[in-house]
Amino acid sequence: MRSIPPRKQFATAVLLLVSGTGLFAQNPPRTLQPAQAPSSTLPAKPLPAPSPRTLILLDPAHGGPDSGARLSDNQNEKNVTLAFNNRLRALLSAANFAVISTRTSDPSTAFTTDQRAEIANHDHPALCLVLHATGSGSGVHLFTSTLAPSRQSHNLRWDKAQAPSVAVSRDLARRIGAALLQAKLPVLLNQASVPPVDNLTCPAIAIELAPLPQPGAAPVSNPDYQQRVAQAIVTALTQWRDGNAATELIQ
Amino acid sequence: MIPRYQRILFWSLVGGIFLMAAFLIHGCRQAHKRLTALNDATPIAAPTSTSTQQITLYLANDADGSIAAEERQVALPQDPTLRARALLEYLLAQYALPTSAHPLQSGPAVDDVFFLPLPVTTPTPTNTLNPATGEQQKVRPSRATQSKGELAVINLHGSFVENHPSGIQAENLTLLSIIDTLHAVFPKITEVRFLVDGQEHDTLAGHADLRRIYPATDTTTTPESPTNN
Repeated sequence: MRSIPPRKQFATAVLLLVSGTGLFAQNPPRTLQPAQAPSSTLPAKPLPAPSPRTLILLDPAHGGPDSGARLSDNQNEKNVTLAFNNRLRALLSAANFAVISTRTSDPSTAFTTDQRAEIANHDHPALCLVLHATGSGSGVHLFTSTLAPSRQSHNLRWDKAQAPSVAVSRDLARRIGAALLQAKLPVLLNQASVPPVDNLTCPAIAIELAPLPQPGAAPVSNPDYQQRVAQAIVTALTQWRDGNAATELIQ
Repeated sequence: MIPRYQRILFWSLVGGIFLMAAFLIHGCRQAHKRLTALNDATPIAAPTSTSTQQITLYLANDADGSIAAEERQVALPQDPTLRARALLEYLLAQYALPTSAHPLQSGPAVDDVFFLPLPVTTPTPTNTLNPATGEQQKVRPSRATQSKGELAVINLHGSFVENHPSGIQAENLTLLSIIDTLHAVFPKITEVRFLVDGQEHDTLAGHADLRRIYPATDTTTTPESPTNN
């Protein structure tokens, strides 16, 4: 039998490796299955189904030609929301959340609020966080929808898609608010009609960063301030996820 | 000794100065006369006496995100639409004061205010013939909208919207303050809709939704505490 020349063997190995990596990238393993002990003599138990990671959607508002609020001479809202998005995204990923962002850069043409809602509704995240920043007021403002809570989950109107999730949204806003207070950050909880919150089918909170008042005053662009807020949000969401997991186990 | 020609030059210049000053003063008087002629204050309509009345303004506060009621004595016109417009202009003028807790830029803010009765009227049902039996049957009236009272349509100036501070809280407080103040003086208003320069507008300044119809209900707003469970 004729042997394959070493050059062809190497090329085949490289091709196999590349195709294998491509397949792996297309279907990344969501969770690692624990390996079965080789010396075990017990009958093999069916492995529990891998629990999907909690998906959080981040929507850094504005972008592209829509620069949002003008916070200072050289700072626009779209840049602050993007920086805060990147910070929060990193912390959430480190806490084992799956995270999607509607933008990770400043595109030339940004999505409209309706398009952002479509992305969110398509991916069915456990929570949507709409990120904003302002130069007026102080501390962190958490807004949920003004819609009345509803139990109807079918045949929803586009402008009232948030109604079935309003109760969960408000509960989560309270949890995040409590975590921010624990982090010694001023927080205000309120309700407002802010696109695209009312069009989202997932629980949704609009988080607006305002300058930090005295003592320790800081503008919204301050990285330390953003880090503290992001850390408090991740703490609250981790507790919420762990609480949900515990409840599911009990049931 | 000053030469003669220098003295002549000096007095000529002094004379020129006086002549120019006289010319300037004369020009100013002429211009003043022209301007006062334009502002003709000849009475055309009979004067109306309007007494001041007590109204409740719902004033926003950026610091704590609250809206608090405050009593004021204000003279307002009798015509409802003019009255609503004057009321809102007075409210928004409070925010242009240096001591305002919710600072907004001064200038005209409200172009018009219209009132529409609710519910929106539907055609009166008529009796028809059943094509199968030929009998007369009664058509059930179509379901009317639930809302009762009046819809206020507030047409804002484009300049007001352009100069409004951008932010969810700032914009939301302005809208709530307008709605609450209007509802306090016109209790029949149950819904409020906003236009900008007569057109629909997506948001007030990039955040608060202006496409929706806001319910005009009661109102002093205080942000919730995260610790209230």
